[in-house]
Amino acid sequence: MTASAPPLNRKPQGLSLRRRLTDLLGWTACTVAFLVLAAAMTSILVGVARRGMGAMHWGLLTEITQGTGGGLLNAIEGTLVLAFGGLLLAVPLGVACGIYLAEFGQGKGAPTVRFLADVMVGLPSIVVGYFVYILAVEDLGWNFSVAAGSIALAIISLPYICRSSELAIRQVPQDLRNAARALGAGDNRVIFSIALPLALPAIFTGILLALAISVGETAPLLYTAGWSNYLWTGHLVREPIGYLTYAIWAFITEPFTEAHALAYAAALLVTLFVLIISVASRLALAASRRRLPHA
Amino acid sequence: MKPFATILQRRGARLAIFCLALACAGALAAQTINLLETGSSLLYPLFNLWLPAYHRIAPEVRITTQSTGSGTGISDAVAGIAQIGASDAYMADAMMRQHPGMLNIPLAISMQMVNYNLPGLNGRNLKLSGPVLAGIYSGSIRYWDDGQIQAMNPGVRLPHHAIIPVHRTDGSGDTFIFTQYLSFSTPSWSNNVSYGTTISWPAVPGELGAEGNPGMVTATQGNPYTIAYIGTSYEQAIRRARLGIAALKNRAGQFVLPTSATAKAAAAQMVAKTPKDERISLIFAPGPTSYPIINYEYAIVNSRQASAAIAAAMRKFFTWAMSSSGGNAPHFLNQVNFVALPAPVVRLSAAQVAQIQ
Amino acid sequence: MRRVYAALAALVAAILVAIVAFFAVEAWPAIGLNGWHFLTHDVWDVGRQYGNPILRDGRLVLPGAHYGILFLIVGTLLSTAIAVVLAVPIGVLAAIFLAECIPAALRTWVSFFVEMLAAIPSVVFGLWGYIFLIPFLARHVFPWMAAHLGFLPYFGGATGSGYGLLTSGLVLALMIVPLVTSTVRDALVAQPHGLRDAALALGATRFETLRTVQLPGTRRAMTGSAILATGRALGETMAVLMISGNALNYLPTNIYSPISTMASFIVSQLDGALQDPTGMAVRALAEVALVLCLISVVVNSLARGLLYWQDRISSAWPA
Repeated sequence: MTASAPPLNRKPQGLSLRRRLTDLLGWTACTVAFLVLAAAMTSILVGVARRGMGAMHWGLLTEITQGTGGGLLNAIEGTLVLAFGGLLLAVPLGVACGIYLAEFGQGKGAPTVRFLADVMVGLPSIVVGYFVYILAVEDLGWNFSVAAGSIALAIISLPYICRSSELAIRQVPQDLRNAARALGAGDNRVIFSIALPLALPAIFTGILLALAISVGETAPLLYTAGWSNYLWTGHLVREPIGYLTYAIWAFITEPFTEAHALAYAAALLVTLFVLIISVASRLALAASRRRLPHA
Repeated sequence: MKPFATILQRRGARLAIFCLALACAGALAAQTINLLETGSSLLYPLFNLWLPAYHRIAPEVRITTQSTGSGTGISDAVAGIAQIGASDAYMADAMMRQHPGMLNIPLAISMQMVNYNLPGLNGRNLKLSGPVLAGIYSGSIRYWDDGQIQAMNPGVRLPHHAIIPVHRTDGSGDTFIFTQYLSFSTPSWSNNVSYGTTISWPAVPGELGAEGNPGMVTATQGNPYTIAYIGTSYEQAIRRARLGIAALKNRAGQFVLPTSATAKAAAAQMVAKTPKDERISLIFAPGPTSYPIINYEYAIVNSRQASAAIAAAMRKFFTWAMSSSGGNAPHFLNQVNFVALPAPVVRLSAAQVAQIQ
Repeated sequence: MRRVYAALAALVAAILVAIVAFFAVEAWPAIGLNGWHFLTHDVWDVGRQYGNPILRDGRLVLPGAHYGILFLIVGTLLSTAIAVVLAVPIGVLAAIFLAECIPAALRTWVSFFVEMLAAIPSVVFGLWGYIFLIPFLARHVFPWMAAHLGFLPYFGGATGSGYGLLTSGLVLALMIVPLVTSTVRDALVAQPHGLRDAALALGATRFETLRTVQLPGTRRAMTGSAILATGRALGETMAVLMISGNALNYLPTNIYSPISTMASFIVSQLDGALQDPTGMAVRALAEVALVLCLISVVVNSLARGLLYWQDRISSAWPA
């Protein structure tokens, strides 16, 4: 809808009281519903910001956790390592899957893949964590580790990346592909020189979305990444690693103020991360719309 | 082809840097030994006191502590996920048969409080017994002014308000020792519910589940008319939260408060009975001044470790932890209200530590 | 080359199948042991851990072991139902507000603000519920509700500690409402103007036009997003774990009662289950995961089916 919508305050002439009341009630309900959501969002943001700012000090960002005190450097590092590790696995696979669905999506298998990927989006993340726990942590003997945690995050973000890449590539106008083919380009040339470069900002949006999800995940990491008070020493297996969401969950129920401070600060950091990533993804989306000739 | 190729190159460069960083970190890691301790939230505060001190003695060993509940401690140690599984409970016979290489090594003696949040009465030490607690946790005693509670506490004006029992939801050594107290003192509990780290709690309307000792403290503090069982290492938190501490009826029929004197009295009764593998319940010890819920705090450890270096680091740590000039020194134990291991038990534990290879 | 992409895509699709198959295999002995009792009984008892395992139906189990998850199913379904019942009307109304009452220039960012609710991590919702919402509800809202709305079934009685069914439902509602809002808002904005203008020209008020002309056009988007939202609420873990009260072995007596859900139960019980020397507790927990997987697959399939039907390719993707 565009700005041409008639103004709301237009006074309808000769309307019955009942109709006018229904109108008033309806619009009031809409406004109230919106205000409820805005109030909840504000309460969460302000609550997390106030407690988090109160707990924040420089040492939190430069020191590692000591029991229920100290800093969060290990958790910040771990969150980044795990999220990056998850993307490292999920992006190539997810984008390849997206390419298949967008470019060869008329085949028999494509609807099945598309459907399964969509259903997978709805799979509870703890189920994925449990799956990786039994297979990787226990059966393969990897223990709590970066590898196990990253795989869990990769499985969770795969369907998002796959489907958003497909939509991104699909938005590249068919004319451009046809033109390239007319000039003698093969499948790969069309994909890598035409479709992917044009779709890149939109693909990037999907990847950012997956990143935001990875940064905020807790349940699947509890049984795969474990927790560590120390900085990561680079082992992919058999070395647990810390992450911010664990600090929120584990330290908020401790009966010590210093532990609460860690939880609040971690909540602030996670929320900030997610907010920044979300804003960035919005901007990337806007950029992708500008970039495409006309979708 | 150009844009994608440049991206590839850039990604390739980044990957190379990443691998380089990995290699550096790997080289650095070779010198340190990582140990993971998971489990008992009762032992967790003591480990957190120990670690900075032990780090000064052995900087090459990095121990991560995780408060997860004893159930996780035991299963992580058995699965080889954690090197040290902290537990208030020893392993069951059936589990020991399945995993004969596991050791149950006491590191200290702990006790458990029964706490409550009764507005106006938290300053008084209510008297409670095993059968009454069993009644509360099985739902047959529903109100604070129940005749059985009143009979034990003459002169106390108990409110007519429903009791909210709080129990642990995670696999917990505290649940284990608490339900042992109920089982040993109350035949009907023993027959119907029994004891363990995970219990199928009888349904009591309004009851709450909490995660870990910290969760128990917070749940009890936040909810008036609750009752809970909480490890003694949280006594300072209990006092800060102004919660009540109950005097419990022991085997001799006396009501005793959890103090280091009553814990030592109970321990003295049980030391001679401790077997070689040190798996024994100290609950409901005889003696007029014995506090009924005390226990060994165990390190559950696999006698076969991944490398000789890890095994050596663990032996060194445990030896330090049990020594009266190291981890069992009063300035550590007093902060968490633990009691030092008696000398005969230290000898038994040392013999077990020597088996870690 | 096409084969390579197809193979990679098949790999992605295979993961879901693998997960479901994995839990089916893992849970198989428990399924045989528990039968239908698993779904109809509400006692979860791993048995006497310190007793000697016994043989039952040819399977080694701990004495007294019994696995029934009715209380989990009820807790999961009821908290989800409350969440959906609250989230759908609020989400649709808010979507109307965003589509009709906010100028197009501002709409993107105003919508973004409320739809960011979907991006807030579950554990932060849990923290917020735990610190702010529960004390507020337990002290002010629930006692008032019990006193003034107590005549309604399940609204009266003990209001408890604030941890429980209604609290979980409220927080879940906030978590899923953006799904509804964004889908319905997009559908409203994307509608052609012709019908709306015609209705207005016939003298219908703006709200009547909306109700009779514009909203019916978004019905499928509404239903689809509501089912998707149901799927998300069913599987939410951390927030529910922190605010539900983690009830064990009993059904809620009113809307304030503590509950547990399947997803949060897996987190809180997996460690304890691993201690069962017979391994049956882990297998029974895998059966919980399997049930959760199947419910989630069914619900999401329904939603996707509906949304595909509406628009075969693109707008099925929720923001």
